[in-house]
Amino acid sequence: MENTQSEQYQKLTQELRRGVLVLAALSQLKEEKYGYALISSLAERGLDIEQGTLYPLLRRLEDQGLLESEWNVEGSRPRRYYVLSETGRNILQDLTEDWSQLTGVMEVLLKDGGK
Amino acid sequence: MNLIDRYVHEVGRHIPRRKRGDILEELRSLLVDTLEDHFGEDPSESQIEQLLKEFGRPRDVAASYYPQSQYLVGPTLYPLFRMVAGIVVAAVLGAQVIAWGVGIFIAGETFSVLEMISSLVNSVPNSLGWVLITFIILQYFDAKPYLEEESWDPKKLPEIIPGEEIKRGETIVGLVFGMLFLALVTFFPQWIGFVTTPGGKFYPNPVILDNLLLIRISLAAGVGLNLFMLWRNRLDLTTRLARIGLDLYQVFVLGLLVIGHNRWLAARSSGGLLDGLEAIEALAEGGWELVGMHAFRWAFVVALIVTIIDILASIYRLVRSQLKRDFSVRDAVVRIE
Repeated sequence: MENTQSEQYQKLTQELRRGVLVLAALSQLKEEKYGYALISSLAERGLDIEQGTLYPLLRRLEDQGLLESEWNVEGSRPRRYYVLSETGRNILQDLTEDWSQLTGVMEVLLKDGGK
Repeated sequence: MNLIDRYVHEVGRHIPRRKRGDILEELRSLLVDTLEDHFGEDPSESQIEQLLKEFGRPRDVAASYYPQSQYLVGPTLYPLFRMVAGIVVAAVLGAQVIAWGVGIFIAGETFSVLEMISSLVNSVPNSLGWVLITFIILQYFDAKPYLEEESWDPKKLPEIIPGEEIKRGETIVGLVFGMLFLALVTFFPQWIGFVTTPGGKFYPNPVILDNLLLIRISLAAGVGLNLFMLWRNRLDLTTRLARIGLDLYQVFVLGLLVIGHNRWLAARSSGGLLDGLEAIEALAEGGWELVGMHAFRWAFVVALIVTIIDILASIYRLVRSQLKRDFSVRDAVVRIE
């Protein structure tokens, strides 16, 4: 069955957001946060993420050594807090520079439309 | 919170045990945080239900945490699985061939195609099943194989030979039957014939016995050609010409067999193509041999016609593919100019 235009748009926009998710999450973890706080922080700034997407991503980034995490049992219930590791900080810096360059290039590309 | 417990437990069922604890703790913490944020400290049953629906099916949630849990043999293990399965099947087939060889030529057991097929039907799925079970266990414990990747060299990409892909399945079937027939005419030619009734008198076919050498050459050449085609994996000028050459030889052999049967039947005043019907009527008076020879002749006549049609079709395809190639070469030259 052929996808309708809006389904196609949904898929493409999802892919686009997935691409920026790592950078978005890393940018908010210079200070430690637990999962729900991170989701709220991103949502407040206009980036809504499904819970099912964020947690596996955090685990993957931790496995790759970009994040560190620990359980904090001091509050009303135990929560796992994530924060950037040393490697994560360096990579975030590099990625931020890449991102600035990329947005510059994209702006030019979208403006000139290939003329 | 009973629903939350049940939900978390259900998610856990789809995640390997040793990964479960930490993920489930975190999931529970996320669920409770979200509930509190959306509905306050004392959410109702229906509000919990609403939240769980938003979170999605337990199986999907587990898959997002641990995608490998969705596979019996996941993408990480699959290349190794395919390699091991291939080796095991080849080893089983090799062992079977050796066992048959020993059984028939050393222990003097009788040759039975049915037994061969039935032992293959048992041994191949059996060994593949064990390989699969092993890999399911490896998958369950999240084993990660280390496969040294060969360095990739674009120069090693296979040349494009103008032609068409061969039909592998068809060629392999042809190869297997060719080998079986070759084995039959080589080792047990006296078994080619007909019986009157099950367990009754057996008549070997005298015409086939007279032409054994030519038939063996024809079958051996067919096996060789099929092997060659599997190796080339393309229908190009060489394979097409070889196929036509073999077909012409087979027409010659089939022609000899038909003529041989004609002579044999004519000597018994039953040479006409439809005389077999009369022979059937005369069965009661011992006409079995005539019926059998008529049946063989009909089979060879049909094979002869099919082979001639095959030759004509092969010639047509050969001419068409050569013309196509000439055109594409000419196009390429024009484009370069």
